Amino acid sequence: MKKKVLGIVLKLMLVLLGTFIATFTIYFFNLENKLIYYVVRPFLNKHYDSQRRDRRIV
Amino acid sequence: MKNPITAFIDKKMQRFDPIWRAENGKGGQRSRYYDKTGIAKYREWRGTKDTFYDYLAWLNNLKSMGLMVASAPLPVLKGMWEYRWMGSYLGTFAFIDRLFEGFRGPELRIAHMNMHAIVQSLTKKIALVLSNDKRLGGGPLSDRMVPMDEVLPPLFMCGFPNLIPIPLQTLPEFIICDIDQQLEPFYIDVAESFGLAADVCSRCSAETGVTFNDDFPIIGKALLSTNMPCNASEATSMFQRRRIGLPDFPVTLAMIHNEPGAHPYSTQILRDAIKFIEDEYGEVYDWDALFARARQMNEQNEIELEKWDIFKTPHSALCGIAETLYRLYSWASVNGQEDYFTKNDRKVIKIMRRCYEKRYMPFGGKTRHRAFLWGPSAVYYTDFPTWIQNCWGVSIVLNMDSTMGHNMINTEDPEEAIKDLALFSEKAVMRHHAVGGWDNVNAVWDWAKNFDCDMVLMNDNVACKGMNGVHAMMEEQARDLGFYFIFVEHDLEDCRTVSRRDMRNIVNNYMSVVVGEEPLDPTLLDFDDSEAW
Amino acid sequence: MKDLKHLIYFEDLLQEANNELVAQAVEEGKLGLGYNCYYTPEVLLNLPGCFSSRLRAPRCTSPEIATYYMTNRNCPYVRSILERAIEGGYNYLSALFGAESCAAMERMQEHFFLLNPVKNDKFFVTIIDPPMKGDQTSLDYYKAQLKLKVVDELHDRFGIDTSEEAMRQTVAEFNELCDVITEIGSFRKLENPPITGYEFHVIQLVSQVCPHYLILPYLRETLEEIRTREPEPKFPYRARIILAGSEIDDPDFTKLVESCGAMVVADRYCFGSFPSRERIEICEGETAFDAICRHYLHWNQCARFMSGDKIDQRHTELKRLVDEFRADGIVYESMKFCEFWSYEKVLASHVLQNECGVPCCTIEKEYSLGSVGQLRTRFQAFVESLEIKKIQAREVVR
Repeated sequence: MKKKVLGIVLKLMLVLLGTFIATFTIYFFNLENKLIYYVVRPFLNKHYDSQRRDRRIV
Repeated sequence: MKNPITAFIDKKMQRFDPIWRAENGKGGQRSRYYDKTGIAKYREWRGTKDTFYDYLAWLNNLKSMGLMVASAPLPVLKGMWEYRWMGSYLGTFAFIDRLFEGFRGPELRIAHMNMHAIVQSLTKKIALVLSNDKRLGGGPLSDRMVPMDEVLPPLFMCGFPNLIPIPLQTLPEFIICDIDQQLEPFYIDVAESFGLAADVCSRCSAETGVTFNDDFPIIGKALLSTNMPCNASEATSMFQRRRIGLPDFPVTLAMIHNEPGAHPYSTQILRDAIKFIEDEYGEVYDWDALFARARQMNEQNEIELEKWDIFKTPHSALCGIAETLYRLYSWASVNGQEDYFTKNDRKVIKIMRRCYEKRYMPFGGKTRHRAFLWGPSAVYYTDFPTWIQNCWGVSIVLNMDSTMGHNMINTEDPEEAIKDLALFSEKAVMRHHAVGGWDNVNAVWDWAKNFDCDMVLMNDNVACKGMNGVHAMMEEQARDLGFYFIFVEHDLEDCRTVSRRDMRNIVNNYMSVVVGEEPLDPTLLDFDDSEAW
Repeated sequence: MKDLKHLIYFEDLLQEANNELVAQAVEEGKLGLGYNCYYTPEVLLNLPGCFSSRLRAPRCTSPEIATYYMTNRNCPYVRSILERAIEGGYNYLSALFGAESCAAMERMQEHFFLLNPVKNDKFFVTIIDPPMKGDQTSLDYYKAQLKLKVVDELHDRFGIDTSEEAMRQTVAEFNELCDVITEIGSFRKLENPPITGYEFHVIQLVSQVCPHYLILPYLRETLEEIRTREPEPKFPYRARIILAGSEIDDPDFTKLVESCGAMVVADRYCFGSFPSRERIEICEGETAFDAICRHYLHWNQCARFMSGDKIDQRHTELKRLVDEFRADGIVYESMKFCEFWSYEKVLASHVLQNECGVPCCTIEKEYSLGSVGQLRTRFQAFVESLEIKKIQAREVVR
């Protein structure tokens, strides 16, 4: 039983550590902003530019 | 005494610390960036403790954004696909990083507390608006929302507890222009393509472009517009009311608001506006509901006044943009409607008190000048106060817009309360000291003196006719009173007219030629961020 | 057409703010009271012992000192007025009754007390906060502002008689002037008018910048002359247009439009006669002061009005003028750096063209007429387009 709990705790800690390493890497190397700047926004801007808006004064 | 483990880590990581690099001649803040883009290669190492605090704040904001999407996944995705301005909100993380460059210790902690208050509020608002936007399919609250002009303080609307006042321009224009300098020029071009002159105020031009481009969410049954803060915002309302096509009521508060004769009129206008909403929405005004929210606003203002006392000293842990942006959002957009902000204020003031007692010096005591920031800021350069602190050691003690309505609202007598609200509302964003007569503008010197400032930075919106009209008088006053005084030219929301780099150069020239000082971080002196958000 | 007898005299009067008749009135002990905007009721400045003087800066081509004070990014009209004040051109004024009609105007008026450019011991400045809607709350505020900052100031500082009787008498005299100008202006409705747009512009301007009691005899005489004046054998213009917009106090601008082939048949701009020369009617049970306030708020068509009814009034009033004066189109003018008219000309030209079917041309101009080449080209092209539309309309009828 004790072993099982320890195993769960260990797994949980490993998951947490993995999550931490992953998120901290994203955070520290600014990966989310790089992705948004170089990939997401150019894609979205292309879409926005091709949109047909009901552009008029009234 | 410093923990040996963190000391070891900090030693190993110091090449990622821009402050250490600037102090040791090995680069600085700008060394982290890809040229022009405003995208950092890596985030700033602020020391182990502060880096982890910054990381946790990043996670916290990420959580708010996740909650936003989770609370209304389809409307948010539809909104992202429908509205150009929604795409710009993706720049929020980069925006926060920019704002708090060089922040350490308590000033970083407070800055993130304030910023998270904004993020959690704004994400909720985005989800709420998009899930009730009739363009995207509408929602159960669509007709309980009251679209109103962003510059009209919504506190008086709290007397309608069943209605939800939504500052209409806040999402597509008012907030997002802070985050992405590239967005509003698109809308300005749309407005100008219909013949609008290029020399009108770019904020209102952008709003007009949003109108013409049909980019406002469609909500509510009736519209409250306003004459605030000034001429162009009055004029753009003419287009907005037609395009939105709802019954509208212009809440035209007194322009010359510093005279006793103005307040009875503004009071009556508020009464008329309440009557209009009662008629259009079939609701009855509930004074007790108003009083409950007014108490929150009063407490926030009381805390604000205490903050001001600390600002007057060199020991304030709340500095620069962390103060300015928070006050702007919490006053103009929240205006007493959300308890979170009162709670946040209570926590912040506690930290500020502690720092003051310890005689804490923010920014490692490197502040050389204390400046009062006057005039509407260039919103495409929201991190200007951060830059001027990091580059030249100039601390922005208080911004003009932070002095907005800070009178207390009576919470017992409706007659007195509405009068207080009129006075409170007249002194709204870009209005308290920019509009309403020379005395309001000229008050800057007293403010600067009271806050122990040796410098006044005059944000000089090139399209603001009112502030252009006092140009030389202000310069002469500065000379006579012995302040360092810089006119920082900008074009409010159009970074193409006067770029961030141009703005920096104005300051650089003054600081090096007139004041004769050297920059704290030479990498910040001249750089290109023209392709940044 | 034969030249109008007083036209050259009128043109001379427009060469200086402190013209011959202004100087005469001051000499006679009258108080010269300056104003810039329709929001300040002209009639109130003509109470016994006073005369109104709407401020112009004729021949001001380079407002350099005012530009130092207000930057070159501000309205050239207000800069020119300030420049003229600094030059000493308004020393005849005993007061300036300003209005916060727009930010630039207010700042300019503030410089009148910050710099003290008017060398006259009596001189003072007040600035009203004019309303932006036409409802009862706005009317009450307008009345309160005018009472506090115009009527009471005149009474308390100068001892001017502001009684009901004096007001009624002033309104009656003012109405007489309005009737004369309105009758002169109405000749422009004729198919072949015996007056040009330029001449009317000159006449309207002298009625605003000269003491009423001194200019009225000349105007009456001019009216008589026009009544019997022989027009050209054939209408000499290719089109009839209405000029609408902000400050136009230079009759040479009207002359420029007319030299391009379009007669200016109606003037709906600041300094124009629509509005400014409507009779003030005092209703039963109403005081003269209340009638004045009601009248000015009702007729005011400033682009700063925000309420739907007042915005619509601006456009329906123009459509009325188009119909009454048989205009073929409208030229919308805005002064450079004018926020209000920059917006209004976009909206109004859209409404007039797309909802009322009236062709519009929008232009932006400086205060002084410097380089007119571009404007001339625009006007010529507009006149040509109006002609083409007329030809096409005739073909459709056939």
